[in-house]
Amino acid sequence: MDLQEFRAGLDAWLAGHEPELRAESGPGAGLDEEMRHLSKVKRMAYDAGWMRWGWPERVGGFGGTTLMRAYLGEALAARDLIEPGIYSMTEVLAPTMIEYARPELAAETVPRLLRGDETWCQGFSEPGTGSNLGSLACRARRDGGVWRVTGQKVWTSLAQYAHRCVLLTRTGTPESGSRGITAMLADMDAPGITVRPIRAMHGRDEFCEVFFDDVRVPVDRTLGEVDGGWGVAMDLLPYERSTSLWHRGAYLRQRLGHLLATAPDGAFDPAELGEAVQAAFAFHARSRETQHRMARGERLGPETSVDKVLLATTEQAVYDLVAGAVPADIALGDGADGDRWRTEFLYSRAATIYGGSAEIQRDIIARRLLGLEGGR
Amino acid sequence: MDAEAAELLARSLERAFRNETVKAVEASLEEIGWREALAEEGTAVVPLLFARQGAAIAASGALDDLLVSALGFPADPGTAFVLPEFGSYAAPGSMEEGGLAVRGLGSVRMAAASRAVVLTGRDGGLRASVVETGRFEARPVRGVDPRLGLVMVEGEGIAASGVEIAPATWEDALAAGRLAVAHELIGVSRTMLRLAREHAVTRVQFGRPIGAFQAVRHRLAECLVAIESAEAAAGAVLGPDGGADPVAAGMAKAFAGRGARTVARHCQQVLAGVGFTEEHGFHHCFRRVLTLDGLLGDAKTLTRELGEQVLRDRRLPEMRLL
Repeated sequence: MDLQEFRAGLDAWLAGHEPELRAESGPGAGLDEEMRHLSKVKRMAYDAGWMRWGWPERVGGFGGTTLMRAYLGEALAARDLIEPGIYSMTEVLAPTMIEYARPELAAETVPRLLRGDETWCQGFSEPGTGSNLGSLACRARRDGGVWRVTGQKVWTSLAQYAHRCVLLTRTGTPESGSRGITAMLADMDAPGITVRPIRAMHGRDEFCEVFFDDVRVPVDRTLGEVDGGWGVAMDLLPYERSTSLWHRGAYLRQRLGHLLATAPDGAFDPAELGEAVQAAFAFHARSRETQHRMARGERLGPETSVDKVLLATTEQAVYDLVAGAVPADIALGDGADGDRWRTEFLYSRAATIYGGSAEIQRDIIARRLLGLEGGR
Repeated sequence: MDAEAAELLARSLERAFRNETVKAVEASLEEIGWREALAEEGTAVVPLLFARQGAAIAASGALDDLLVSALGFPADPGTAFVLPEFGSYAAPGSMEEGGLAVRGLGSVRMAAASRAVVLTGRDGGLRASVVETGRFEARPVRGVDPRLGLVMVEGEGIAASGVEIAPATWEDALAAGRLAVAHELIGVSRTMLRLAREHAVTRVQFGRPIGAFQAVRHRLAECLVAIESAEAAAGAVLGPDGGADPVAAGMAKAFAGRGARTVARHCQQVLAGVGFTEEHGFHHCFRRVLTLDGLLGDAKTLTRELGEQVLRDRRLPEMRLL
């Protein structure tokens, strides 16, 4: 199947199944409901085959260009059927499994993620380890056929729903830095794991603290080489800044389109609107190029930090526009529309913080793309 | 054009723009066969040329060639194009009782050209006339960027009949022109960033190159984001049919113009004192940015008008399918 066939077929399928695919309680009904709905959408899309295109056959996919995956998320977001933040986790974690897990492990677990049977999370950051990922301390000690993991993760999105966790642990000496890190896939129902959700300022349990108290992870769940976890993380992060961002861009255009269709006359300053539209256009162009590079099999790297900075800037420009166009909805609104705009506006403030802060992205650009050595 | 041919053309253009004088640049472009490439390949060759002209802070009549041929006239070194007034994109000419009146800008080509194409607009209809350059006044502009060689064109009572130009033809020509200037602005921006980066790795303070300091690193990173985004936006202007999309071209030019000012601001701050001198090359770049932004509609005008259009439509402009 090529992209054109896929697009036509998917569009027709979505048109035919839209009532079932639309959340009954509407978007913004709370995270529990959104997660239930997301599983349903993924299951339906998987069973109809759409969710399997663009993934390798050895993990339950049908093969074909990765552009099909990009288009699926775009089409769902453009119709307001999914929230891309929770949907696109698959785009970050599945490629990592495909590249670094034992083939049998990937074949066993990835289809469950694609089908929406399972939710996964990403255990990277720690209380003492934010931007400086190489300093992480969550300890894994080899004991026969298992890793015994003790430590804490934080800012772990969806951990309260997750069945598995792609986890970074310290296997070298405390001073080993990026050389002593090992990645593994942990089961979230393993004894010794405690999850505490954190309520964020936009009113959602956006992320969690996850505590590991002598948790046993089989050694055959190791991802990549022992002490090679830094490479796994470095390969994962560009994925976090490629297809996920393409999906987010589609969602932003959909929300901006909704605002344009519904905001009262005189709500916009044309110059400010023009700037936000130009930013959305530039992001679309940049991210589209990235999708095509990925589809050609090019290895994504530090240049995706440009995509991330541009998206974060665009997202905040769009929601600044929202805040200017419907200020009373944001400040006072207690209807569904007001609640949703307020939640999204507040969430947009984090766009320059999560997934590697704007400062870290700029540091990557300075060091890796401009060749400016030293400093941070 | 395949990648190899494009690379070859790009390298020839790079050499052409290293020439000191405009005359030599124009001669090199002639030798390379730029006009033939434009005729054969269409707008696809525009990014190749204008990015390099911008990077070299060079000047030529290439924009004249592009606009003249887009309106259906033969492009040659003797034919100039009268550009709209600074900041605007309205037709520079009008058909009055006593003949054609014109008020606009000319490129560096104008001095050597024997004729110029003048676009006139009245009652919603557009016409283009070929006028002998001796029939109007062409006064050199000093202004902020004398090296660009712009002239102020003014005249009236010029006998001309012209040919009718379909609005869509001018829209396409304008789109091609805006795409060209967008790439030129991106080229200038890349040169500014190169100069600032060189300074950041060689200038030592507190025992370290200043490029080790976060305040400097982040400014330069911000420049690269502005440049790469503008380049992506400009790259999305050419459709699969090879033509420039008018709405996209307006967005790309405004974005590149605003981005170039961002790049100029950060690079000037990083270059600090030395970048403020006439001995350093930065000021040529900054002058070029200020001038190029005003050609074929400046960023401020294009951005406001885009916002007004989106408000009338109440929906976003179409963007290319994945």
